[in-house]
Amino acid sequence: MTDAGVLVVGYGNSLRGDDGIGWHAARLLASDPRLAGARVLAQHQLVPELAVEVSRAALVVLVDAAADGDPGAVLVRRVQPRRTDPATWSHHLDPESLAGLAKDLYGAVPPIVLVSVAAGSFTGGDRLSGALERALPEVVEAVADIVSGQYRA
Amino acid sequence: MAREIVIDPVTRIEGHAKITIQLDDAGRVADAHFHVTQFRGFERICQGRPVHELPSIMARICGICPVSHLIASAKACDQILATEPPPTAVDLRRIMNLAQVVQSHALSFFHLSSPDLLFGFDAEAGGRHLFGVLGANPQLARDGVGLRRFGQQVIESLGGKRIHPAWVVPGGVDAPLQGETRDQILAALPEARAATERALGWYKTSVRRFAEEAARFGDFPSAFMGLVGPDGAVEHYDGALRVVGDDGALLAERADPRPYWEYLGEAVEPWSYLKSAYWKDLGYPEGVYRVGPLARLNVADKLGTPRADEELEEFRARLGRTPGSSFHYHQARLIEILGCLERLETLLRDPGICSPRVRSTAGINREEGIGIAEAPRGTLLHHYRVDRDGIVQWANLVIATGHNNLAMNQSVAQVARHYVKADRLTEPMLNRVEAVIRCYDPCLSCSTHAIGQMPLHLQLLAPDGAVLDERKR
Repeated sequence: MTDAGVLVVGYGNSLRGDDGIGWHAARLLASDPRLAGARVLAQHQLVPELAVEVSRAALVVLVDAAADGDPGAVLVRRVQPRRTDPATWSHHLDPESLAGLAKDLYGAVPPIVLVSVAAGSFTGGDRLSGALERALPEVVEAVADIVSGQYRA
Repeated sequence: MAREIVIDPVTRIEGHAKITIQLDDAGRVADAHFHVTQFRGFERICQGRPVHELPSIMARICGICPVSHLIASAKACDQILATEPPPTAVDLRRIMNLAQVVQSHALSFFHLSSPDLLFGFDAEAGGRHLFGVLGANPQLARDGVGLRRFGQQVIESLGGKRIHPAWVVPGGVDAPLQGETRDQILAALPEARAATERALGWYKTSVRRFAEEAARFGDFPSAFMGLVGPDGAVEHYDGALRVVGDDGALLAERADPRPYWEYLGEAVEPWSYLKSAYWKDLGYPEGVYRVGPLARLNVADKLGTPRADEELEEFRARLGRTPGSSFHYHQARLIEILGCLERLETLLRDPGICSPRVRSTAGINREEGIGIAEAPRGTLLHHYRVDRDGIVQWANLVIATGHNNLAMNQSVAQVARHYVKADRLTEPMLNRVEAVIRCYDPCLSCSTHAIGQMPLHLQLLAPDGAVLDERKR
């Protein structure tokens, strides 16, 4: 079975400051007309069961915070499937492992692009730091470009 | 010189723990302990907060079983409001709780335990995980992922989020069920049931290989505790608290289990942040009892749904009326998933399930409330006291892993005595010690109590109790 659409997943802890950038982006992207027809999810973490959705999509865009870099810097990169040998990943996966799981479990993995945003602060609270608040429009544009095909990894 | 073997951390359980195995001079296991080294502190965190916030706050104790804390917390709040949720709200809470049992049991069985059951306890540790299962039995891995996804999607479709949904509120739930959502869940049920049936079939074939483990993994007499409905069926949301002995004989049944201090004690041991709950009538530490899926099957007359009851009958025909080995938690989990899926269908097909009346509102009418429900891992209890304005003054949580603490320690010691030899310590031996803990599926972040300060105190003890080495911080 294939849904063959665009899947956008913003993920992170929405109560840990800039770690919630994926949630803030997902909220804006869900109502963005350029993503009409896309499925937009906000998730706490990447979990194994997301492999089903990933395997059925034609394109997957992930949005997450990054611990390194100048706060607000937006980095876009392709994700390649990787099989990992973790002792346990019942709680979460990294993007490469999620792609690998989709490929191994369901035999299909579409192009996956990660939009990561360098965080300034992971302290408690549901608000973004100033740097990430300013970066949010750029994140939305990056995702829209990827979905419209303007981004080429 | 006596030596101490430390397995730290225990892999493939939810949270982190430490197990110490005490050897005697001859190199034999003298004792073993399961230490919970995490510190929860939620009883203090919530002091000073408005009671209406507690369901959402308490849900954040755990990312695996947040719904259980939502349910128990909301039920305690219902008491404080002195209000009764509308019947549809009760059924919707039940649906979310059942979905949580499905997804949590799927995580426990497929993700955490199936690698041991598939590859055996002597297999290389490096391959004993879900990716390993994927290579050897792709259908089993897909069924595990699919069942967890089903449960999580039900939770998300009702509560808006898979983890920490805020939909269960004091007085009911936050929004009614839409017909479209109901139909989507119903449409996904047949595949979820098929996955469960496949897993049950696979397990019943595989379990024959593990007769030795089944006889050593916490196989000892104890009481069992769980909620039952008016018809004696397994009950996850509400009901009477029933306790049976190792022979299945009724020890107690409390129609109103809320005054838990009358029958439960909580002992504190210096080597763990997890309290040891015990049945007061039997004393401490003799009052050991078990909760969770095996206990629920052992205390109940039936599951109350056709296919699950067929499986229960077969289970009892093979193992007796009250199986005593904690190894059988695995099969109990699968049978319970089946029963939960059948119950979900019954609830969803009720004509009133989409009724818009899903919340009762009230102010603060009592200054104390207790909520009890069955979490995937066992009986969960939330107890709050508030002031006249509804500000939380005091809270106490009794969590499934705390109920099982004494049983887990007995199980660890039993396994260690049989499998761990000082002269030849091997990975398979150590994994069996860990695996018996996994039978109980402890969710350690939920289970740790505040016991005052947080001392870091390490001791190496000789057989006579003398301290060979000690470090304090």
